[in-house]
Amino acid sequence: MTTPPPDHILIVDDDAGIRELAAEYLQRQGLQVSVAADGRQMREVLATQRIDLLVLDLMLPGTDGIALCRELRSPGAPPLPIIMLTARSDEADRILGLELGADDYLTKPFAARELLARIHAVLRRTRMLPPNLAVGEPARHLAFGDWRLDTTARHLLDATGAVVALSGAEYRLLRVLLDHPQRILTRDQLLQLTQGRDADVFDRSIDLLVSRVRQRLGDGARGSRYIKTVRNEGYVFCADVHAASASQEAAP
Amino acid sequence: MTLRGWPRSLFGRILLVLALGLALAHALTFVLAFTERSMTMRRAMVSYFASDVASSVAMLERLPATERAQWVDRLARRNYRFALAEPLDAPEDPSQLARLVANAVAATLPADRPVQVIDPHVPGTELRLQLRLADGTPLAVDMDEPRLQISPWVLGALALQLALLVGLCAWAVRAATRPLNTLADAADALGADRPTVPLAENGPREVVRAAAAFNRMQQRIQAHMQERMQILAAVSHDLQTPITRLRLRADLLDDPVLQGKLHADLAEMQSLVEEGIAYARSSQAVREPPQRVDLRALVESIARDYADAGLPVQLLHAVDVTCDTRPQALRRLLCNLVDNALKFAGAAELRLEAGAPGQWRVRVLDHGPGIPPAALSAVLQPYVRLEDSRNRGTGGTGLGLAIANELAQALGGRLVLGPRADGAQGLEARVELPGTPLLQ
Repeated sequence: MTTPPPDHILIVDDDAGIRELAAEYLQRQGLQVSVAADGRQMREVLATQRIDLLVLDLMLPGTDGIALCRELRSPGAPPLPIIMLTARSDEADRILGLELGADDYLTKPFAARELLARIHAVLRRTRMLPPNLAVGEPARHLAFGDWRLDTTARHLLDATGAVVALSGAEYRLLRVLLDHPQRILTRDQLLQLTQGRDADVFDRSIDLLVSRVRQRLGDGARGSRYIKTVRNEGYVFCADVHAASASQEAAP
Repeated sequence: MTLRGWPRSLFGRILLVLALGLALAHALTFVLAFTERSMTMRRAMVSYFASDVASSVAMLERLPATERAQWVDRLARRNYRFALAEPLDAPEDPSQLARLVANAVAATLPADRPVQVIDPHVPGTELRLQLRLADGTPLAVDMDEPRLQISPWVLGALALQLALLVGLCAWAVRAATRPLNTLADAADALGADRPTVPLAENGPREVVRAAAAFNRMQQRIQAHMQERMQILAAVSHDLQTPITRLRLRADLLDDPVLQGKLHADLAEMQSLVEEGIAYARSSQAVREPPQRVDLRALVESIARDYADAGLPVQLLHAVDVTCDTRPQALRRLLCNLVDNALKFAGAAELRLEAGAPGQWRVRVLDHGPGIPPAALSAVLQPYVRLEDSRNRGTGGTGLGLAIANELAQALGGRLVLGPRADGAQGLEARVELPGTPLLQ
């Protein structure tokens, strides 16, 4: 019997101290780790080795993290989970907002434990969904029914354009549902997929969360327009979802 | 000491002085002209009266005594009448008019005729002239009070002229004081740190100069604040890397006690850096575009986020309301207040209520030690901590409430701290949101 090879992580950071220390910690935790100081070295490693996940610093000399992320997410590039390292949480919001395709982000300074937890969470999440479930073209607004979800500001906009706020958990649940419309998601899948940055504190039952999101959308459990309950299976988002550009915002 | 009725505004004061002066000058001119005219009129009237009396006397003397009575009535004029009446025994009227009339009439009559002017004490009759015809028949002439008529249109024209002058003065004074108000508005706007809108540099030379000077000052303040922000941002950015390295080194330590201590110190350093950045950036909140926001959903989502994180934050009351505000700034503001309550009281309660008509307020309440009344305004200043109840040991950087205060201003509202309105022990932080839409 052979044990599966350890996950191979590539850390790209221009600060030698940070990348060596992080690498040492992750190696102690049983991961295989490579390091790169900039985009050029990163491409060399990616060309020669199998990498399971990339930890990418936003601020890099030469080509910065945003450009590298966009390059790795261009059509035809092999899927590669990415965790972005950023200096400030509002920068992080911007990255998520731009939907550059980073799977998660971590603000500096971070605890090594936290990095490890994120790596495991992202790997688990990306492996849970088959490749054809991968998120399509990123969009600032996802429109469905009378509503639009603003993925940058992480709130809903109603038919009149008024902002309807969501709690973090509500947003993550709705986002997962909108990313996978017309597909039954089990409670377990939803729990895993909605475990975001606060994975360890998120322990509410999915049913309560679904009822809250339905309430926000003015949707009842029976005759639901948006989130249908599938008995003994889970939930399915049953309305059409499409990306809405900013120019469409004014449209009724 | 202030005079009652003395206007508070410069406009009111200047206008009042000008209007009073004009009215006084007008009244004086009018009185002078009126007096001069009435003196001239009186002289003309008296000489006409004297010659008329003389010719009437001459006519009556030529008539037979029996016919005089019927002619007497025909000789009456608008303001004097003749009568064949015995003289009243009364003293001479000493007034100037009486002497004037007596002299004038005496001069037109033959020299030996006695002429007496008395006050008959009859209402409406000013003077009675008593004389005798050549045959000794007594004749009396009753003069009405001399009246100088002023046509109403003259008074109307005067009033109109005065109104026109006061109106022009008001216009001129308004033109002179308006730039002061504009300047004050611009200075207020600068205080709230909105994106700079330069004053229009047009109008009279003095106004242009003041506007230009104000604009230069505005630019200097803006540059200064940007510099402050850049310094904080640069320092913090440069600190991120060594703090990250330190944290990673601590994670690699085998000594859990030392590791814990290092992590605590690093967390404190980090929160100082982050709060410093947050404070420097709080003035930028005005750049967030205002949107229609479902306030209830916003407050509810905040309470749920805390509850999901296992923190005792409750939303006790929320009205259904949508208003124009900046959602990100409002969320950060409320989170700061909730964090503060959690830090010092361990729990927080939220209430969303109607405030003044058309306005809304969010109250963040706790059951903590509260803040002494004397320190309520001080804690809104950056880096102010209350030494007895709030020290660094509880994690405070002294910036949380200062950031909240800045954000409340960026929302066009205000943050008010005080004891709980229900009388219970604890702090009440009230965010008052304006009812009027924010400027973009």
